[in-house]
Amino acid sequence: MAVETPAKPSLADRLYDKMFHNYLWKSIFRTGYPNTPRNQMLIVATNVFLHLHPTRLHRTHVKVTHTYCLGGLSFFMFLGLTVTGILLMFYYVPSVERAYLDMQNIETTVQFGQLMRNMHRWMAHAMVILVFMHMMRVFYTGAYKPPREFNWVIGVILLVLTFLLSFTGYLLPWDQLAFWAITVGTNIAGAAPVLGPKSRFWLLGGFEVGPNALIRFYTLHVIGLPLLAAIFMAVHFWRIRRDGGLARPL
Amino acid sequence: MATAAVARPAAKPQPRARDEEVLVWPDLVFIEFIAAMVFTLALFLLSFLMNAPLLDQANADVTPNPSKAPWYLLNLQELLLHMNAALAGVIVPTIWLVIMGAFPYFDRDNDGQGVWFGTENSIKLSIIGGLVGIVGTWFLILWDSGKLAFFLNDWFGFSGGDTFRFLENVRSIQTQLPWPEWSREITYSPWNIVIIGEDFQNLDFPGWLVEQGIPTGVMVAFPSLLIFALWRAGMIFTRRDAVIVLFSGFVGAYLVLTVVGTAFRGQGQELVFPWQLKVSEGIPGQH
Ligand code: HEM
Repeated sequence: MAVETPAKPSLADRLYDKMFHNYLWKSIFRTGYPNTPRNQMLIVATNVFLHLHPTRLHRTHVKVTHTYCLGGLSFFMFLGLTVTGILLMFYYVPSVERAYLDMQNIETTVQFGQLMRNMHRWMAHAMVILVFMHMMRVFYTGAYKPPREFNWVIGVILLVLTFLLSFTGYLLPWDQLAFWAITVGTNIAGAAPVLGPKSRFWLLGGFEVGPNALIRFYTLHVIGLPLLAAIFMAVHFWRIRRDGGLARPL
Repeated sequence: MATAAVARPAAKPQPRARDEEVLVWPDLVFIEFIAAMVFTLALFLLSFLMNAPLLDQANADVTPNPSKAPWYLLNLQELLLHMNAALAGVIVPTIWLVIMGAFPYFDRDNDGQGVWFGTENSIKLSIIGGLVGIVGTWFLILWDSGKLAFFLNDWFGFSGGDTFRFLENVRSIQTQLPWPEWSREITYSPWNIVIIGEDFQNLDFPGWLVEQGIPTGVMVAFPSLLIFALWRAGMIFTRRDAVIVLFSGFVGAYLVLTVVGTAFRGQGQELVFPWQLKVSEGIPGQH
């Protein structure tokens, strides 16, 4: 009677084994691809990037036509803007003498600089549109109703923050478009009754758009407002979970 | 478990329906991944095809004509052409944001929650609200820019002559009517009240009327009338219905204001067709 010897593992299997079962890999990824329901839930619950999600959700909410991914895409734009924004920061100095020259350099001499700038610009426009559309989807699905009242309010705050982020970024290229758009925009703010002129002065650091305005807008744009937005987004996402996931009929 | 100090929550989180649930990995993560990839690719493509604008270096002495705010603020800039600056630029948007934030505290019924257009009539109401917002805003803009009078004259040979000149646009109510002199300076306070440089003592009534009175009246009356009419017509039953009309009307008006401000305002903020829109880069020293 012939004894069955185990087949020798193929080259592919051995390579796979070497690559994914070695000490270094396992120190990073503790498990392999999760192919059982138990592991799939575990990976969502224990992975730092995935744990914003619940491990399971109602089946109506995975239909694309329920959310059109609009909230998720708004967040994705925020992340993409952070990445491209940090890359732009390496080359940009917010001073009246340098800002415009730096923009020209980004477009002409920096490797992929034009691409980075374009991405940042178009993503910013996309985010404004996506956030607005997300608000419309939440409204027309009646998802602001109890117990989600306050998350809607947080959403309105996020909408304002999105506008402000985009507005403060608009000045930074320091070209004619930027300068006059911010002049017009801050004049609108300056028209507020009683507090208007003061708040305009405070925003610009003077009576006109100049060096002080540039550094203020820059600081707000790269750290102040993103930090605020990140905090409100954290609360927004946390509340979605606390309110029992996305809204569905009672 | 709850202690006396804990206020009763406004509403409890919805209980889960475990047998209706699917796994986030892979069902949701997969969709998110696809959506993210589609957007990344589309944005890369757009960035290869179209460069972000960069004009000449900023110069406070050269004013482009027209000077425009970023596009998402052009709705406010458009509003600014028709009324008092504080009203258009600050008060109206602030009040609207507060009203919108208060939606869930006004409409608290769980009816139709969590599904697209979940209540009866909601699609109809959204369309009506949206259309009235679009058409109404266009109408008001055309009227106030004097285009309505122009069309009536040009197309139908109807000219109001001097009798109806005061209806040409909002401002002409102030300039074309024989207001008595006293109405332009009505003293309402015995002292001059000064709050941070602004004084309050006399009222220029015709000016107040066209810059604040009429615009406020229109913005309050139009939506109220629409909701009232739809209620009488038996289409609005609940608070949700009213809020749907209000929100849809807002979206329509917002859209028109943004589009007009962006594509229909030429030099001197004149109302023109998009293909006639030219921007003068400005002449040094001339504002
Ligand atoms: C930076 C802006 C925002 C981000 C990143 C964001 C993100 C999200 C995400 C990822 C969700 C999960 C469901 C979905 O994707 O639709 C969500 C849900 C929600 N959002 Fe936002 N959001 C933003 C702005 C807003 C605004 C402007 C509003 C409303 C005024 C709003 C109100 C809500 C509400 C009420 C929910 C719960 C919806 C439900 O239960 O079905 N959010 N948001």
